[in-house]
Amino acid sequence: MKYIQVNGLRKTFTVRKKREKGRLLREREAVPALQDISFQIDRGELVGYIGPNGAGKSTTVKILSGILTPDSGEVLVEGRIPWKDRREHARRIGVVFGQRMQLWWDVPILDSYDLLKEIYLLPDADYRSRLKELTEALQLGSLLRTPLRQLSLGQRMRAELCGSLLHRPGLLFLDEPSIGLDAVSKLALRDFLKWENREHGTTVLLTTHDMEDVAALCSRVMVLGHGKKLYDGDLPTLLSRYDTVRTVTVRFEQPDILPELPGAAGISREGDLVRVEYSPQMIPTPDILQGLQQAGTIRELTIQPENIDYLIASMYREMEL
Amino acid sequence: MNTIRLYLHSMRMLLKCQLEYPVSFFLQALAQLVMEGGEMMAVILIIDRFDRLNQWETGDLFFFFGIMSVTFYLTECFGRGLTGNFPSLIRTGQLDTLLTRPRGVLTQILCSAVDPRRITCIAVGTAALVIGCRLSHVQWTLPKAAAFAEAILFGCMLILALFMIEAIFMIYSVKSVELVNALSYGGRSACEYPIDIYPRPLRILFTAVAPFALVLHVPSAYILEKPLYGWPSWTAFVCPLAGAVFFGLIYVVFRKAMTHYRSTGS
Repeated sequence: MKYIQVNGLRKTFTVRKKREKGRLLREREAVPALQDISFQIDRGELVGYIGPNGAGKSTTVKILSGILTPDSGEVLVEGRIPWKDRREHARRIGVVFGQRMQLWWDVPILDSYDLLKEIYLLPDADYRSRLKELTEALQLGSLLRTPLRQLSLGQRMRAELCGSLLHRPGLLFLDEPSIGLDAVSKLALRDFLKWENREHGTTVLLTTHDMEDVAALCSRVMVLGHGKKLYDGDLPTLLSRYDTVRTVTVRFEQPDILPELPGAAGISREGDLVRVEYSPQMIPTPDILQGLQQAGTIRELTIQPENIDYLIASMYREMEL
Repeated sequence: MNTIRLYLHSMRMLLKCQLEYPVSFFLQALAQLVMEGGEMMAVILIIDRFDRLNQWETGDLFFFFGIMSVTFYLTECFGRGLTGNFPSLIRTGQLDTLLTRPRGVLTQILCSAVDPRRITCIAVGTAALVIGCRLSHVQWTLPKAAAFAEAILFGCMLILALFMIEAIFMIYSVKSVELVNALSYGGRSACEYPIDIYPRPLRILFTAVAPFALVLHVPSAYILEKPLYGWPSWTAFVCPLAGAVFFGLIYVVFRKAMTHYRSTGS
């Protein structure tokens, strides 16, 4: 049996429409958030869960973490039904919402952790060793006595992560954890998640809009749109489908060369730089390189895939999301 | 036991939070004193006009006012998470956070807030009780003390349950339903006076629906040795249990409602 099993998950929200003129009661409208979602996740996997706003990502996470009850469908996490065995389930999972603070605003974060120890009924020795480990990995040592409200966004996210992992959960849900973080904090967050996954075999389900995070962390992605699962597999395979434009930038020894490359989508020159656009599906990259080498001695060359966000955007477009 | 330890730990921390802003705390506590003090002045003025209401003398009326004040504000002080904080828990989606922790939802809601400013209101209530006991020459005995403790305890449960009704509506509609306030705040204002001065519909409302009369007035009348409706004295010990029963019933509905919780935003 898999670590997480989800079968035929459905959830519909009823939204009350604005009252029309002359009607006493407001009409209700059923908005399907999840339509027949199924997947399985193994222990220790790092899975990216992506999709445009309103696709149902958060709803899935909320059901899997025991906050919401689905209309129908089966969810088993280590044999537990999250919304039925909520308390037992909560003991074994960690949840971080990027836009929602779990720690207490006005007290030093160490006080928050002490209260979490009480909430999770953690044994003293266990709590202390775990706290030490996490504060070192997240570089929180010097911040423990600072109230949460005085921390920067990046520091706050690190503090939140520490809080959600104190009880050594086997499964961690991250809902847009890198939202609003600067480059340094983002990289630190990625390194930490990799470390936690490697050291403790923690399974991670990451919902995000940051494709760089997904590319750096997740061996597997699931794409959700309009409440349906549209893709489940690795990221490179997904991207290669939409990878239609790449750019090669070349600097030749002789500045006035303009190579001829049959099959390339466009060749242009800016100063002593030559820019070649091509589609890897029309013409293989080695052929392009060969053509360039025959044209002259190359001093410098870079190949750039299309920006990952453009790829995802064109994917959403094609899937009509 | 664990629950009590968690509650105490939470309270310690919340108080620490509040004392981060001492001036604000002091001013708000003062404002509460003025408010509740004003309420008591109103009662004093009314009592002054009538001198007595039915069988109740001035001291008795002070006692009824006091026991309601103490009970209501004890609940608002220690049950703040439910009586005041719950709407924002729902609106901000903070309730999600509570649901991902291995403790009871109601426990955590109660652990989420405390309102120590109410201490001034409780003080006013206590003063009214002391004045009432003096004027009515109450002779305290052990059974009377027990009836008093019961009234306070189950009174708190009753008031908490009334606020829980409001919370249940909020779970379904995310908006607060002011109508339900009629029972909680309305109940407080009405039942500052003994129930038997009211016409029949109100008596039924506050006996059978929101049983303030059973929980607070029956034991109070026993302590003042003027049995309500001439009921036998053992009723003073049994009637307050209505508060616990009421709480139990509403709690079951609350649990049921939580499965319909929809959360907000992403």
